[in-house]
Amino acid sequence: MKGSVVLINDINKSFGESRILNNVSLEIKKGEFFSLLGPSGCGKTTLLRIIAGFETPDSGDIKLDNTSIINLQPNERHVNTIFQNYALFPHLSVYENVAFPLRLQKKSEKIINEEVRKYLSMVKLEDHIKKMPSQLSGGQKQRVSIARALVLQPNVLLLDEPLSALDAKLRQHMLIELDSIHDQVGITFIFVTHDQQEALSVSDRVAVMHQGVVLQVGTPSQIYESPGNSFVADFIGETNFIEGTVVSVDDKMGVMNVDGIGKVNFYLDKPVKTGDFVRVTVRPEKIRITKEYPKIEGHPHTIVLNGIVDELIYTGFQTKFFVHLDSKVLFKVFKQHVKYFMDETPINWKDPVYIWWNPADGYLVEVEPR
Amino acid sequence: MKKINYGKIYTAPLTMWITFFFVIPTSIIFLYSFLKKKLRGGVLWEFSIDGYTALINQSFFKVVWFTVVISIFATFLTLLLAIPTSYFIARSKRKNLYLFLVIVPFWTNFLIRIFAWISILGNNGFLNNMLLSLGIIKSPLMLLYNQYAIIVVTVYTYLPYAILPLYSTIEKFDFSLLEAARDLGASKLQSLFKIFLPGIRSGIMTATIFTFIPALGSYAIPLLVGGQKSFMIGNLIARELKVTMNWPLASSMSVVLTVVTTIGIFIFLNTNKNKSELKNEN
Repeated sequence: MKGSVVLINDINKSFGESRILNNVSLEIKKGEFFSLLGPSGCGKTTLLRIIAGFETPDSGDIKLDNTSIINLQPNERHVNTIFQNYALFPHLSVYENVAFPLRLQKKSEKIINEEVRKYLSMVKLEDHIKKMPSQLSGGQKQRVSIARALVLQPNVLLLDEPLSALDAKLRQHMLIELDSIHDQVGITFIFVTHDQQEALSVSDRVAVMHQGVVLQVGTPSQIYESPGNSFVADFIGETNFIEGTVVSVDDKMGVMNVDGIGKVNFYLDKPVKTGDFVRVTVRPEKIRITKEYPKIEGHPHTIVLNGIVDELIYTGFQTKFFVHLDSKVLFKVFKQHVKYFMDETPINWKDPVYIWWNPADGYLVEVEPR
Repeated sequence: MKKINYGKIYTAPLTMWITFFFVIPTSIIFLYSFLKKKLRGGVLWEFSIDGYTALINQSFFKVVWFTVVISIFATFLTLLLAIPTSYFIARSKRKNLYLFLVIVPFWTNFLIRIFAWISILGNNGFLNNMLLSLGIIKSPLMLLYNQYAIIVVTVYTYLPYAILPLYSTIEKFDFSLLEAARDLGASKLQSLFKIFLPGIRSGIMTATIFTFIPALGSYAIPLLVGGQKSFMIGNLIARELKVTMNWPLASSMSVVLTVVTTIGIFIFLNTNKNKSELKNEN
C-alpha cells in the first residue's frame, strides 16, 4: 500500500493569547482514512495547516514515515491539500489547473496530458476538461481540486472540510466518492470536519478534538458507543445523560440514585465505588417507548419509567419523542419505524407512555470519586 | 401605456456635461487641424492638411519617442511601487488609515506639489543639503532639470491613481490560492508570478492606463522639472499654440496624440479580453 505514517508529536500552537493546540499527539497509520472531528474553533484546521506547512507550531514535531517535515516549506512536503473553498485558479482551465503542479515539475507535455486525463477521469470530469472554473458547479469544482491534489501522487492527502460548501444530497454523494477514491489511490487521508455524520460514515478512525485537545481517538463505533467523556458523548449524535450517586456495586452492575428517577441500574464500564458520582449516557434510539406497560423478558435489571410526551417530531424513518417524567426529568427517545401504520397504537402529543432501556445499552462515561 | 425610459432622463445632465466640455472641444480641435493658420493665432476657414504634413519631420518624432519612453519608464516604476504598496494596504489591519494617507496629497494643488519637488531636488534643495552635510557628496548633484526628474515626479503624481485600483483588486484576491499554489509545489516566487499577478491582472491594467495615458499628455511636469532639453508632446503642443501661434499644427498634434492613445488602449484592452474570452469558449 502507498501512503505514509503520519506522526504528530506534542504540537503546541498559540495565536496571541489564545492557545489553539495543546500538546496534540496522534499517530495516523499508513493508508488510513483518519478524521479530525470537533466543533469550530477546536484547532482541527490549524493542525491540518501545520501538517501542510502553512502554519509553524510553537513546539512539537511532525514526521512522515519517520522523517521530520516540520522545517520543510509547503512545496517541499509530499502532502497535498483540498481546500474548503476549492481554491481553483480562476484564470486557468480545468485542464491547466490539474496540470499546474506537473508543469512546475517541468514534466513533458505527453506525461502531463496522460496524468491530467487519468485523474480527471477518476473524478469523472473528463468531459469538462476545457471549461473554466467559473463554469463549474460546486461539486465539479471540488472534483477538480481533488484531481489537482492527487496528480502529484502525494503520500498524504489533507482535506479541510471539503464538503461543507455543498448541499446535503451532494455532500452524501461526494462522501461516498471520496471513500472510493481513497480505496483506489490507497494513500493516507486526513479529513477535517465538524460534521459527525461525515466523520463516522467514512473514517477508519476518528480523533475528537475540543479546545485544542484531542479527547478521544477510536473507530467510529468506539467513539459512538463508548465515548471517552460526556463532551464526546454529547457532540457525537444525540444522547441522554443520567447522573447520580452510586448506592451499591456488585461484580458487574451498579445501582445509582438519580434525582427525579430513583434507582437506576448500570453496567460497570469503569471501576466504581459506592458513593462515587457517576454519569451514564443512553442513546435515544436505545430507549423503548410504548403506551402499554411493557412485558420485559430476559433483562431483570431493566427499570420502567412513566412519563408524558411533550413533543414529537416525525422524520419519516423515525419519530423523535421528548418525554418528561412526573419529576420533570426530560428524555429523548427515538423510535424507528419498521412498519409505521401497523405500529401498535400510535403515540400522540400529551399521551402517557412507558419508557425503558436495557442497562447494557447505556455507557458509563464519567466517574467522579467522592 | 407608453413606457418611459427614465435612464435617459437620469443621465441627461451627464450627457450634456460631456457634450459641452468634451465632445465639442475635441471636435473643434479636430476641425482646426484641417484648417489654415492665421498669422497671430486662430485659423483661416480654408481646408488644408498643412497641419499634418508639418508633423512629418524628425524633431517631432524625437519628441514622440522621448514622451513614450519617459511614459513607459514612469508607468513601469509606478507599478513596481504600487503593487507592493497596495498589497501591504490590502493585507493590513489599518486599511482606512493607509488609504487616507494615499489620498492626502490630492488636498494640495498639483502645481504646488511639483514646486515642493523642486525644493527637494534643487541644487540648494533638501536632498543635496542633507547629502552635503552628511559628507556623502562634495558638491551639489544635478538632480533637477533632466529626464530623471520628470520620471520621479510623474511616478509621484500618478502613484495614488495606480494604488487605488490595484488595492481594490488585491483586496478581493483570494489569498488561499497562493497557499494552494505553494501546496502544489510552487516556490514563493512562482506562486507570485503564476498565480498572484495573473489574479490581479484587471487591477494592473487599470493602473497602467491611469498612469500611462496622463504621463503621455504631461505638460506641467516636464515644463517645471524637465529643463530646456526635455520636451514632451504636451509642451510641443503648448509651444505651437502660444509661441509660434500655429493653431492647426497644435491641433493636429493633439489629434495624433488622442488617436494614437485611443488605438493603443483599444488594442491593450482587446488583447487581454480576447485571451480570457478564448479560454472561456474552449
